[in-house]
Amino acid sequence: MPTISIRLDRVSKRFDHTVKGEVYAVRDVSLAVEQGELLTLLGPSGCGKSTTLRMIAGFEEPDAGTISIDGKDVTHTLPNKRGIGFMFQNYALFPHLSVFENVAYGLRVQGRDEAGLIRAVGEVLELVGLASYGRQQPHQLSGGEQQRVALARAVVFQPRVLLFDEPLSNLDAKLRVEMREQIRALQKRIGITTVYVTHDQEEAMAISDRIAVMERGVVVQDGTAFDLYYRPRSEFVARFIGRTNLLAARVVSATEVEAEGLRIALASGRPVGDTLRLVVRPEMIDIVPSSDGTGRITQRTFLGEKTDYLVMVAGTTLQVSATDHYRRPPMEAGQPVAVRFHPEGIHVLE
Amino acid sequence: MTVAAAQAGSWRRVAADPTLLAILAAVWLLLGLFVVYPMVELLMRAFVDDGRFSLAPLLESLADPSHRAAFFNSLFLATSVGLFGTALGFLFALTAVRCGLGRHWLTLLDAFALLPLVSPPFTTSISIIFSLGPKGLITHDLLGFANVSPYGYWTTALAETLTYFPIAYLTLRPILAAIDPNLEEMAFILGGSRWRIFRTVTLPLAVPGFANAFLLLFAASLADFATPLILAGNSFPVLPTQAFLQITGMFDFKGGAVLSLILLVPAAAVFLLQRYWVGRRTYVTVTGKVGQRSRTRAMAPWAAVLLVAGCFLVAALIAYFYALLVWASLVVAFGANNSFTWAHYHVIFTEGLPAIRDTLIIAAIGMPLGGFYGVLVGWLIARRRFPGQRAMELVAMINYALPGTIVGIAYLIAFNDPPLALTGGLLIIVACYVFRYSPTGIRATVALLQQIDRSLDEASSSLGAGTGETFRRVTLPLIAPAFFAGLGVVFIRSMTAISATIFLVSISWTLITVRILENMTELALGPAAAFSVFVIVAVFVVITGLSAVLVRLRAPAAGAAARSFLGG
Repeated sequence: MPTISIRLDRVSKRFDHTVKGEVYAVRDVSLAVEQGELLTLLGPSGCGKSTTLRMIAGFEEPDAGTISIDGKDVTHTLPNKRGIGFMFQNYALFPHLSVFENVAYGLRVQGRDEAGLIRAVGEVLELVGLASYGRQQPHQLSGGEQQRVALARAVVFQPRVLLFDEPLSNLDAKLRVEMREQIRALQKRIGITTVYVTHDQEEAMAISDRIAVMERGVVVQDGTAFDLYYRPRSEFVARFIGRTNLLAARVVSATEVEAEGLRIALASGRPVGDTLRLVVRPEMIDIVPSSDGTGRITQRTFLGEKTDYLVMVAGTTLQVSATDHYRRPPMEAGQPVAVRFHPEGIHVLE
Repeated sequence: MTVAAAQAGSWRRVAADPTLLAILAAVWLLLGLFVVYPMVELLMRAFVDDGRFSLAPLLESLADPSHRAAFFNSLFLATSVGLFGTALGFLFALTAVRCGLGRHWLTLLDAFALLPLVSPPFTTSISIIFSLGPKGLITHDLLGFANVSPYGYWTTALAETLTYFPIAYLTLRPILAAIDPNLEEMAFILGGSRWRIFRTVTLPLAVPGFANAFLLLFAASLADFATPLILAGNSFPVLPTQAFLQITGMFDFKGGAVLSLILLVPAAAVFLLQRYWVGRRTYVTVTGKVGQRSRTRAMAPWAAVLLVAGCFLVAALIAYFYALLVWASLVVAFGANNSFTWAHYHVIFTEGLPAIRDTLIIAAIGMPLGGFYGVLVGWLIARRRFPGQRAMELVAMINYALPGTIVGIAYLIAFNDPPLALTGGLLIIVACYVFRYSPTGIRATVALLQQIDRSLDEASSSLGAGTGETFRRVTLPLIAPAFFAGLGVVFIRSMTAISATIFLVSISWTLITVRILENMTELALGPAAAFSVFVIVAVFVVITGLSAVLVRLRAPAAGAAARSFLGG
């Protein structure tokens, strides 16, 4: 059985809101993060993900519930006694210290001897690819470099747990992809338990072992990226992770449902006449040109690796993605098409 | 969550952090001893008779016609100085912002505007006596009047206006600079006359600034002790001097306490009005835009010439006063024998040496204490969360906000008898300066910390540093500019302040400012002038030195901290 490194048990945090009065930032959140696992807290802004992270770090204290790290209750422990490495959205590099001294900070606080300190800082700067930057001042570095200094500073004193608070949101798109790969590689190499906060679902899917989706202070679903994408438990998750067509359907037989006037082969296991809500991802729908088709293309967006279409079917607009556009001429807006669903990918919402 | 639960939470948090707990205990102990206790003693002395509460002394005091006159004189003087000073400050601010002066001219303008703020309190008064007295350069030599009295309302108002108008200048300049010239340009394009634009756009936008400047000047004049003591004379008594005379002349501590408390009413009213009404409105306007000058055409050339000429006149008057001071310190007897001599400087460095030595020792001890105290309390207020935070912020400001006369009398009453018989010693004067003038450092620290992201503290904390270590390794280096500003203010005030400490000096420990006053009353004007010149030079040297340090620190808010030198 895997060991649990971080455990949150029914943790709540309330804030005084000037207009709304007392509001829950986080409500009854329970989570367990395994040793060496990377868990992402994902959700829109204001969902409580950062507050949850800051409570794990000890910057905020929960009003209820307990937090433990490596089996030890740290609910009321000060942040400096928790052994955590924290990456801030704005990096929070000390502006008056050089790169070397920024990274060395945690070791100096521990009272590490000078020789060991120089070696450890050198190694970790090497690890993040900044070996020759030790004497630079933070303001002389680019955003990506500052990011890596912050990462080096967070891991150099070998914390038990690494926490990331939207670390990539200040970087441009290309650098963001590069950095998240670096972070993931480093995390795997040193095998450190990590909690990562982001509002970017693509980033979450790319980096995580497991994702916990939060909405209004509550964890609404946690699981692998694959689970969340193909088996969302709620409309919120279905809409938040990837793009989705949410269709109302009616069971017409044991093996068929009807949605938007189309028959779909789906063994729902529900009685005939029941209404269902279906999650149909854009790539689960095929469209082919057909003059007697059931749908009509209203918009086409060519994106290189795929083409996105909006297709009007029985008064509803469906999102459709096609990746096989290199095999046949692209379809134009206005063209009538026949629409077919891939039943194996369709998910029924409870 | 209930309030009680929240309180319990924050108490637990503090209890878990022994360093913070120790710091809080120490700060509260000091505040209790040097702020709360003297005020309580003052109130007790004024309102408790034979162990019973009594309003009789207050009513008695109010019934005394000379006290009533002093009260209304104080208000009248403060109102005049508020109006004149705001007008003068506006003249300088408008000239600085709108007349398109070159950088060097602006520096000169600044220098003339700020000189009075860092001078000892009698500078202008001495020069006015030299100019307008019975043997005055202007009244006697120039106009040929005989036996003119330089004492009374007009000279006092003139001296205070010239001394305090820089406060209005410092308040109004950033506000005028922040008014987008495009607004005025737009009105101009729309066909408004320049005067009309000035009246309908510029002035209304500056209204909160005017109110703020007026209140600050009002408070400064109300609290001013030195100028009326020299210039107001018998015909125009005001509250601070009346309270002083009550105590030093008649040894009537109770009467002095009551009079100082009458002064408290308008002072507190103005403080609250300024802080909670006007202060807030202007705050937003001021941020970040200081120094941005517009080259707007909304100022007619003739108006610009007029403004510059006005500033030139005022600057010339100030220059004349200071030149007169230097001259008076270098001649045998001003007006009677104008031959050159170093004798007055000889006097201050022999006979006057104890005062200089005492003042420098007091400043040297007060500076680091005040600087550190300001930074520490500023950091507690801006960065820590603990029960009673608002109360601490408020209590720390009390001695700063109150007129010096009240603070001085309160200290005298509280520390004159056992168990805390501190009067006559060094400690009491140092404590008075630290708790009275460090709030400038507190405010500079808070302003600086507001610009420094809280995540730096959290980063340090996550890397294993406790409260004390984070303060030492991260906060202190970053707020060094505020620390040096705090040092500067304590030094300047040690050299120039008198209103509170005149009650606290003794045979063993005295101050330059007190010696100047003694010289003035003995009509030894030469040594008084020499002392004043010495103080101005010393303050100039120290400010230049500290500014150099601030420039070297190159911290983001060093400029703001440097400006706060003058905020006290």
